[in-house]
Amino acid sequence: MRKLSAAVRFTLPLLTLVVLWMLVVYAFDVNPRVFPGVAAVGHAATEAMLDGTLAAHVAASIWRVLVGTVLALFVAIPMGVLMGVSPAVSSFLSPILRFFSVLAGIAWIPIATLWFGYGFGAIVFVIFNAVFFVVTYNTLLGVASIPMSLRHAAASLGASPWRMLTEVLLPGALPNIVTGVRTGLGFAWRGLIAAEMIATNVGLGYMLFVARDFYRTEVIVFGMIVIGMIWLLIDRLLLAPLERATIHRWGMVRAA
Amino acid sequence: MNGLAYLWVRWIWSPYMRATARWPSTRSVVPFLPLIAVWWGVAQAELFPRTFFPGPAEVVSSFFTLVYKGILPEYLADSVTRLAVGAAAGIAIGIPLGLLVGLNRRAHDALWPVLLFFQAIGDIAWLPILLIWFGFGLTTMTLIIVYTVLFPIVLNTVLGVRAIPLDMHRAAKSLGASPLAIIREVVLPGALPNIVTGLRNGLGYGWRALIAAEIIVGTSGIGFLMFDARRAGSVVEIMLGMIVLGVLWFIVDAWVLAPIERATGQRWGMVQRQ
Repeated sequence: MRKLSAAVRFTLPLLTLVVLWMLVVYAFDVNPRVFPGVAAVGHAATEAMLDGTLAAHVAASIWRVLVGTVLALFVAIPMGVLMGVSPAVSSFLSPILRFFSVLAGIAWIPIATLWFGYGFGAIVFVIFNAVFFVVTYNTLLGVASIPMSLRHAAASLGASPWRMLTEVLLPGALPNIVTGVRTGLGFAWRGLIAAEMIATNVGLGYMLFVARDFYRTEVIVFGMIVIGMIWLLIDRLLLAPLERATIHRWGMVRAA
Repeated sequence: MNGLAYLWVRWIWSPYMRATARWPSTRSVVPFLPLIAVWWGVAQAELFPRTFFPGPAEVVSSFFTLVYKGILPEYLADSVTRLAVGAAAGIAIGIPLGLLVGLNRRAHDALWPVLLFFQAIGDIAWLPILLIWFGFGLTTMTLIIVYTVLFPIVLNTVLGVRAIPLDMHRAAKSLGASPLAIIREVVLPGALPNIVTGLRNGLGYGWRALIAAEIIVGTSGIGFLMFDARRAGSVVEIMLGMIVLGVLWFIVDAWVLAPIERATGQRWGMVQRQ
């Protein structure tokens, strides 16, 4: 019951916004080429869902993000751990990583399209390095912030390098890694939309940008809502719980 | 092997450690030297075609050419001005809005979900419709940046305001502070560290949004420089653009954000001690 009332309280303002939108469009008779009415957006939505274009665009976008992110995580986490183990190495490398995580994502679009051509390769590359540098940097910070005494304690109890990795370094760095993934995915998602506007012929960003050419504002608004919803779902249902769970775990590790 | 390690420590590592201990600012420069050396080596070995992967020397010479022609300073000034205007507007709207939403229960109930939703839509998704409304131009770009900077600041301000213990409000009130005095003396200082975090995130996102907007809208700016170079197939100028962007962020970070963060950290410390 409490959950229900919280859900109502959360959706009520959004519904009010929709009603307000309807009223304003109706009252001022807004030109649909400037801003569409609710009905037009609903119409565009059902049309896109029925003829399968929406599914194709969403699938293309998500597939790119998935491939880029998974590749990046597979390389970034081991590298971050390796570099973070030695304090000297990690302090030496962190300016370089910071430099590249500043550039991460969108700034690579021009060179990526030149190296890989317009299409799948360039976009996956952009997502890869949006996630890669941020996650590597955060993993390195996470490993470097584990108190030396913990590592000494594990070593003096006879932990093998493998157990040191799986029982001290990785759990200790996990909260940082997850924060890194969350930030990196945030950059990657924006980078994806931008890259799709520039460099492809399918995907959510492309859907918006093509609609602009034909002044189809209802498709644009619908696309924006879809983009917002997908990100909200990824962030609230996947990343935020993951972050909370690792912080609990971290608390356990500290208390033990 | 041991001898090699000795040489490494004696002639490279310990001088580096001593130098960074004496001049801490070298710490953020020296690590790039081996990177540049590797870059130079790879380019020199021509593993990739030279036009696809130019070396540092070409990039430096294109830097001087573009500075001499006056293109780079002009574009750089354009980008920085846009970012500064966007950030200023974002702060001017964001902090009061954040205070309102953080302090007033009704405002929080009504606005919080809306804020979360619009934050999720993300800056760049607004580009197409802004292009329809305002055309290819400065207004579009400025609005994108304001939008991007705004949300992290508002959301973090709200979090900061709501993290202040209620007892602080009550204590100030029972000492006879007016609502305005409470905002000035309790709420703002208490939320300041969060506001600064929001500002940092916002600028980080705003920065990327600016590059994307300049690439797509394309009239001037570093993003435009890079995309124009891409059209001409000039990797040298793209790399130059990327390096300029990275260095610029280092400067903003070291000269603007870090001092603010230090100042608010100290202020926060003071507030806690009282």
